[in-house]
Amino acid sequence: MQRDQSPTPHGTRMPGAGHAAIGPLHIVVCIKAVPKPEEVRVNLETRTLDRGSARTEINPADQHALEMALALRDRYGGRVSLLSMGPPLFIPYLRVGLAMGADDAYLLSDRAFGGADTLATSYTLAKGVERIGRETGGYDLVLCGEESSDGATAQVPPGLAEWLGVPQAMYAGAVSLEAARSGAASNGRRLRVRREIKGGHEVLRLPLPAVLSVATGANVPRFFDPARRPWAAAAHVVVWDAAALAVDPTLVGTFGSATQVAAVEQAGRAERRRVVIRGTPAEEARALATVIRGVLGNGQAAPRSPS
Amino acid sequence: MTAAKTTTTAPGPEPLGLSAYGAGDALGLWVWLEHHGGVLENVGRELLGKGRLLADQLGAPLVGVLLGRREDLLVPAAEAVALAADEVVLVAHPLLAQYTTDAYTKAFDRIVRAEKPAILLLGATPDGRDLAGRLAVRLYTGLTADCTDLAIEPQTGLLLSRVAGFGGGIEALIKCPWHRPQMATVRPGVFATPVPRPPAAGTGVIRELAVTLTPTDVRVEVLERAVLSGAGLGAAPAVVIGGGGTRGDFRLLGDLAELLGGQVGASRVAVDQGWIGRERQIGQTGTVVRPKLAIACGVSGASQFTVGIDAADTVIAINTDAEAPICEVADYAVVDDLFRVLPPLLAELGHRVKGS
Amino acid sequence: MAAVEEIAGTLQAQEVQPIVLDDSRWEKVLAATGGWAAACLQCGLCSGVCPWGRVRSPDAPPVSVRHMVRAAQLGLGFDALPAGAPLWLCTTCRLCEVRCPRGVPVTEVVLGLRELAWQEPWLSEQVPPELAGVLWDVYWDGNPWGRPPSQRTVWARDLDLPSYDPASHEALYYVGCTAAYDRRAQQIARALVHVLRAAGIAFGTLGEAEPCCGDAAHSFGQRGYLAELVAANTRLFRERAGVPAEAGAALTPLLTTSPHCYDMFEQHYPGLRGVFRPVHYTQYLAELVEAGRLSFSARLPLQVTFHDPCVLGRGNGEFEAPRRLLQAIPGVELVEMAANRAEALCCGGGGGRMWLETPANERFGQLRLAQAQVTGASVLATACPYCVACLDDAVKVDAGNRPASAAGEDRGQGRASMRVLDVAEIAWMALSGPLPDTAPGISPGGTP
Repeated sequence: MQRDQSPTPHGTRMPGAGHAAIGPLHIVVCIKAVPKPEEVRVNLETRTLDRGSARTEINPADQHALEMALALRDRYGGRVSLLSMGPPLFIPYLRVGLAMGADDAYLLSDRAFGGADTLATSYTLAKGVERIGRETGGYDLVLCGEESSDGATAQVPPGLAEWLGVPQAMYAGAVSLEAARSGAASNGRRLRVRREIKGGHEVLRLPLPAVLSVATGANVPRFFDPARRPWAAAAHVVVWDAAALAVDPTLVGTFGSATQVAAVEQAGRAERRRVVIRGTPAEEARALATVIRGVLGNGQAAPRSPS
Repeated sequence: MTAAKTTTTAPGPEPLGLSAYGAGDALGLWVWLEHHGGVLENVGRELLGKGRLLADQLGAPLVGVLLGRREDLLVPAAEAVALAADEVVLVAHPLLAQYTTDAYTKAFDRIVRAEKPAILLLGATPDGRDLAGRLAVRLYTGLTADCTDLAIEPQTGLLLSRVAGFGGGIEALIKCPWHRPQMATVRPGVFATPVPRPPAAGTGVIRELAVTLTPTDVRVEVLERAVLSGAGLGAAPAVVIGGGGTRGDFRLLGDLAELLGGQVGASRVAVDQGWIGRERQIGQTGTVVRPKLAIACGVSGASQFTVGIDAADTVIAINTDAEAPICEVADYAVVDDLFRVLPPLLAELGHRVKGS
Repeated sequence: MAAVEEIAGTLQAQEVQPIVLDDSRWEKVLAATGGWAAACLQCGLCSGVCPWGRVRSPDAPPVSVRHMVRAAQLGLGFDALPAGAPLWLCTTCRLCEVRCPRGVPVTEVVLGLRELAWQEPWLSEQVPPELAGVLWDVYWDGNPWGRPPSQRTVWARDLDLPSYDPASHEALYYVGCTAAYDRRAQQIARALVHVLRAAGIAFGTLGEAEPCCGDAAHSFGQRGYLAELVAANTRLFRERAGVPAEAGAALTPLLTTSPHCYDMFEQHYPGLRGVFRPVHYTQYLAELVEAGRLSFSARLPLQVTFHDPCVLGRGNGEFEAPRRLLQAIPGVELVEMAANRAEALCCGGGGGRMWLETPANERFGQLRLAQAQVTGASVLATACPYCVACLDDAVKVDAGNRPASAAGEDRGQGRASMRVLDVAEIAWMALSGPLPDTAPGISPGGTP
């Protein structure tokens, strides 16, 4: 069975033995850099988001996706590729992912990709996944964070699955690989996915390749391995522009986006309201009940989930 | 900024080649009525209520859409008509008995292309987001996710969806000018549940549409589905948290949590005292929750605690000490003894004492 | 399904391994502990003195420093031993080092083993998973509490702290992450600012640019990441230091709220030598008293007992400066606990334990509070934000254990309960009046 062929060093961290009988897996992890949510302000003059002053981080949910990919690689062997779409200033964040343990990194970067909504973003990422697959002998799994902390749409992973034409499972909590009864499809392997749903869980079985979004909280993202940092800092990050990806120019960026932002405003939620309520207990209770009804959205208490 | 996009850079009023149909052909506001074995998710009701207002504004029909086994669909269909719908579309098929991305996407794609609704609304539940994200790409249309409000732009009749980004710090209004249907998933609980109309006020039609599905359409097998009666701390829409001020008595907090469909949490002090299990602890060394509402009762609010509720949409504190740090991180602080406030609050919210 | 079961069987078979002494592991242990693992004679004095022995119930596996070192010497994962998983229990309090006949720096051995645990599969089960989150917080947010960097100076919004200027300031005040973000510790920093101003000290801070000193990374055994932090921070401090000091000229004090930050700068920042003089604020204030620049005229009648922070006392040999400072305040009566100075009991918050949960009945703070209560003092003074947090917790638990009538309305402020104060707060009380200042937002206009 083929072992991990990646040329990357493992740093000081010893990799798991892998499970040669059923591995390896080539996993593509989609990550993006986002400004820290609490640090973003609306520039009221230009009515655009002022991200300049905000510190940026790897989208927290994507760190969980990367951790799942690395844990799967530790278990089954294989390769973890990072994929991102954005400006070149995303490259340092890809390097953080490399220092965590990813084997290689790809950035889809072109001015034409700017201003993309989830429709255009998922298309562009799909073209990136397909090209990574072509260049490396195929991909088995695409992992995404459950949602980004800036847009919080959670719509890129299912959109990506649709563009790729592969099955999907969202909010995956635990993933394992198992042998399929019939050997032909999926290289004789299937995924078993435990998925968190409202008030419970589902266990799904799906063929490879597939797209999963990883539930935030499914794991604790490992800290990067300091010994990998020098390698990660110098590693070659593959950058592909629109021409390299051979994208349909009408499907990317602003042009390929179906939605438009009509207005943007500061929600004024950066600080708590700090309203002090004082009175007789009955008065306080009335005021609180009004607040609670407003927050929970309807006159009644929230319904119980079906059991 | 995409807001700068104008008709000079946009593809123009005609839909792109991939789009199923154009704005000129589109009519009607559709609401997906998610259900589990015939029991409606409440967000479907909420969307019918809001959808009624929007549809009236547009002069368009309000249509509820139910997918599933036929025997599960009739009761919710009747309820949808009673609540608000002009029409309920039923898509009955054994392969739709439980939600799968593949079968639901295929069925929806077929009926949307056939019926050409202008707007399609779904609840932003895990299944709703799973379906909407995939369906929007298959239909090649615009989707706005996890909306907190909906409106119709008066001049254009376009759907305006309000979304919160950056952890709620930024809000944006999103529209989808050229592609149809205009899709949105809506956060559960933001719209009120409508009360049923008087029988004379509205009538609705129940209509069935056929789709062809075969087992090979469904690539994902559901091996197990377990829905418990209560959500965990992390997923609860409301969390009622007790601290040292409860002196170990969590009964009223439990009643309030139950009434709000939420969960009981605790500060480290309360857990340390052995008043409640460690799995209920909220904070740095416990669980970080992101409910719509957190109610901290008798919690002083050390920073190791408050990180656990930073992501809550709204924080209410009930504390005798106005100087307690919790009052600084609360949207509403009631300065009083929780044992004096909670009984009238429970009564105010319609709690009935057990056994009565 | 058969295939799946077969795989599971194979995995299990791999996990049950015979104990094989592994020379390559021994080499790694030796290197990671700076050779000290070899010096241990296995006499067990360290295990006997370890505070964990006093708080663990008889049913719980004992925490044995000796076993831990032995396991490492043999190249074993610790799970093979009765001691359970002790590597991250160590608070690095150094009480055992006082007793070790071979002079083994047990803390260095423990930190070295922790470093190995991040790397080696045979030790990796030892790493508490939540620690990675703390390191990410330091990496992304610049503090181990996961708080927004833009809020680092909110605690001092109304104090108008100037940005450090080498031309006009005689000291650089390094506030530290805990004092900047923790509600309780902010009061210590605010008190210290007022005291420094009362003494007429011109000082500045690094404001929002203030970095994390790396204490968390150090205490978790993340030496590689610590080296990155130290290199970046050293560059920053050197840039902010202005013109290099002439040979023989007095170095500008770099004074810290927390002895942990002081320890970091003093012991782990070789690049700061000749640039700044790291000093804990208790040392600095004691110097000011002795130089006649800070004096206390009003009486502050308080009976105080002093808890030595491990990292200030045993860690850096500074037992007397906080005591001299307290004794410079007229009216303050210092009563010592039986275990004081080099014998002092740890609060439980060092060695990374601030980020790990400890069951209430296993906290050293509880024991330390009881020792303090025996003295009859009304104030338990200390000089470290971690100690204050742990001892405050102990006071809360203690109050909760009292009958409801005593614990209820006055929340543990009742008769026999002690108040935990930092020495900086006591100093400011002596200068200003009985109530320490609180951070903005809670009592508007309440600042002097």
